[in-house]
Amino acid sequence: MGSERLAFLSQMVEVLTSTVSFGERLGNMVHLLARFLKMDQALYFGLDKSQESLNLQISSKGPLPRQLHLEYQSGQGVVGLAAKTGKPQLVYRDQEGVFADNALLEKLQPKFNTLAAFPVADDNFLYGVLLLIDKSLRSFSPMESQAVHLTSLMLAGALRQALVQEEAKKRIAELSVLFEVGKAISATVELDDLLERVVSTTAKVINARGAALQIIDLKTGEPRVSSHYGLVPIAKICPTIPQADIKAGSMTEMAFLQGQTSDSSGKVHYHLAVPLIFKGQLQGTLCVFDKIAAGGEHLPFDPENRQLLFTMAGLIVNALENALTYQQVETLAERNKRMVRNLTTLQEVSQAMLTTVQEERLLDIIIQGLIQPTGLGFDRVLILQVDENSQTIRGRKGAQRPTEAPALPLAEVLFQPLAAEIPVADWQIPISPGLGAMAQAVLRRRPVHQHPSQPRTDTAVPWQKSFDAQEYFVVPLVVKDRATGVIMVDNQSSGRPLEPEPLHALQMMATQAALMLENAHLYSTIEANNRELMLIRERMLESDRLAALSSLASGMAHEIRNPLVSIGGFARRIGKLVEKNSPLRGYVEVIQEEVSRLEKLLREILDFTGENLSYFGDHNLDQLIEDTLLLVLRDLEVSNIKLVKKLEPVPRIHCDDRQIKQVFYNLFQNARQAMQGVGGTLTIHTYPQEREDGIYAAAAISDTGGGIPLDVLHNIFNPFFSTKDHGTGLGLSIAQRIVARHYGHIEVKNELGKGVTFVVTLPIAKYCLVKDAGQGTALASALNAPSGGRR
Amino acid sequence: MKKILVADDEMAIRLLYSEELKEEGYEVFTAANGREALEIVEKEPLDLVILDIKMPEMDGIEALRQIKERKPDLPVLLSTAYGEYKQDFATWASDDYLVKSSDLDDLKNAVKRYLKD
Repeated sequence: MGSERLAFLSQMVEVLTSTVSFGERLGNMVHLLARFLKMDQALYFGLDKSQESLNLQISSKGPLPRQLHLEYQSGQGVVGLAAKTGKPQLVYRDQEGVFADNALLEKLQPKFNTLAAFPVADDNFLYGVLLLIDKSLRSFSPMESQAVHLTSLMLAGALRQALVQEEAKKRIAELSVLFEVGKAISATVELDDLLERVVSTTAKVINARGAALQIIDLKTGEPRVSSHYGLVPIAKICPTIPQADIKAGSMTEMAFLQGQTSDSSGKVHYHLAVPLIFKGQLQGTLCVFDKIAAGGEHLPFDPENRQLLFTMAGLIVNALENALTYQQVETLAERNKRMVRNLTTLQEVSQAMLTTVQEERLLDIIIQGLIQPTGLGFDRVLILQVDENSQTIRGRKGAQRPTEAPALPLAEVLFQPLAAEIPVADWQIPISPGLGAMAQAVLRRRPVHQHPSQPRTDTAVPWQKSFDAQEYFVVPLVVKDRATGVIMVDNQSSGRPLEPEPLHALQMMATQAALMLENAHLYSTIEANNRELMLIRERMLESDRLAALSSLASGMAHEIRNPLVSIGGFARRIGKLVEKNSPLRGYVEVIQEEVSRLEKLLREILDFTGENLSYFGDHNLDQLIEDTLLLVLRDLEVSNIKLVKKLEPVPRIHCDDRQIKQVFYNLFQNARQAMQGVGGTLTIHTYPQEREDGIYAAAAISDTGGGIPLDVLHNIFNPFFSTKDHGTGLGLSIAQRIVARHYGHIEVKNELGKGVTFVVTLPIAKYCLVKDAGQGTALASALNAPSGGRR
Repeated sequence: MKKILVADDEMAIRLLYSEELKEEGYEVFTAANGREALEIVEKEPLDLVILDIKMPEMDGIEALRQIKERKPDLPVLLSTAYGEYKQDFATWASDDYLVKSSDLDDLKNAVKRYLKD
């Protein structure tokens, strides 16, 4: 018996360590045991994972029939009893209840009499039960019992090893999946990209036909598919797990949805969905469809798949969290960048505005800051000003965003002229509550945002059609609680929505712009007043000087005139009394001529010093010339001088008509004298002329008298300079003084060998003292006006 | 014979004018100021008065006013060294305004014009 036992044990060890499959090894061990104990049959029932039931897995008589399914619940039959108690059970057929409890065994071993069940267990686990069956009634010697015990232990060892191996395999598979997923996740930080990778990896790892990720939209609360891979049923993309189930689920037992449907062809489809839970809230679902077997048929998902899906869901949640954080950080960084840019723009515009007090320059700087792509980047900007007298908002300046980004930095672009101006000068919008956002902004002194969805309030505004915008923003320019104007912006041409940040920056800019524009306005008013005062002062000084000079000169002239009259008068009388051939006659004539010369000089000095008081009024230059010509027509005719008149309509001038006639009289006489004896042409041309400081009426008087010799040209305006034998030399000098007194100019264009042109320019009535704004249109309006305004 | 009064504070002017006008066949009275001139206007049936403007005691403008008040039809010529008074409306009451000159033709022509009948 001892040698048999040894042989049995050595055979068992051989089987146990053999390289055949695990199932075969178990079969061999059971077979060896049955043979050794001379039992009719030995069976092994394995405990299932639920630890509830025991299934027949191995028989000492070789492979079990496929359809055979033999199962005992714990405590049921002799097998169940051995499992439940953990102790060997030996029963006989004739014992009470034995046959009834173990009737199923009849299928395998009819007419059995002895049933011996031994638990297969190690120190920790019960793996199953070994059942020995025999037709005879028999018992077990201690040696036999020990052999069974040893076999049980060996079986337990083999089973544990198999379990560990299986577990290790699973663990490796899971780790490799996680590795795959980890690789996928770490490959990108873009959320969309990441989700796509997670979904495709999940499908591939589980070997599913399709996978989908559904994330709940934060705004609507509705789930939407963020990402999917493979074949995903369109009708019900992803089963939704109710929020309530999530909350009810414990940490260990997570809620999930698993199910199957059949399509029209009868093919069964499986789905498995697990929730994505983030901060205790259901954020979405991860779902797989149809596990594909090697043969192509669909398989249901097993608990391992579910576990894996949960792990994936956890990863996705983490990744989502990371990606969301990243996105938030990016958004913050972007926002920060924009804010820094906006603040930089504000700072640069502010700096630029400080460099000027000119309103036009300020407007350009503000508009550039608002439209430049490197500034706040609006598509269109308009600045309008409130006219308190007419209670209207008037267009001031506008421009469009340039099509090309400037090469220069913003700080320099601010000083460039506007590239694409929008003509708004003729806009005039009544400040009335019903008339659009601009009027509202002025009335409320608050910004108005016209959203595209809001009903329009500007349909009655006159400019509305020429400047249509779906969305625009109007910010008032407020100084000391008074709206002085508005800035309007839109993004109509690019269709971009108006973002809050640039609008906020615009409002900040508007606060400063309002102050700067107001300052500029005040400055220009002060400047204009100052200029006017300077001119008045200059005039007063001039007239004071002239008054002093003329009172001195006229005082002297009058004192001289009376004695001259007497001397001259009596000389004439003496002349009459002296005989014709007397030498005295010549002397008397000398006295007479000299007195005449003195009297003429006296008259001219009195003219020069302004003996005559000034009578200023608005006059037509052409008429003054015509009047003066009447005085010289005869002289011209006698001197054989042709007269050519080109008198264009010119604005009226503010002048002393007698003095201006004196000017032209002197010039005509000069011209006539230049052509004396040879004849020629006197050309008179009048025309309006725009100069830097205003609008002038000009008269050009040209002769063909050969011009002025260069050596005397510089002297012609000097008093008492004359090239003529009989002249006082005061003619041009008087003319120049009179023109200067009228704030005009005399210019000489000398063409040696041909003739001289004197150009007299006199400021037109409206511009006598102060240069006005908008000269471009002033010329036209001055020409059209029936008469100039009298200052 | 037509009677003319010449009023001027300058003795030389009075002498020159009266000599010249006498030669033209007029009877000439002279006065050294406005007051004297008025006295003669009262006394004599004059046909014309020539007044200087700047005179002591009573100037030509005041004399002109009083003469025209008393004898509106009596022609009065202003003859003065000052051109600027021509714009003074007070002088507009005179029948003519002449600036003094050593050439008396203008004066004599004006006198002739007023005394032609």
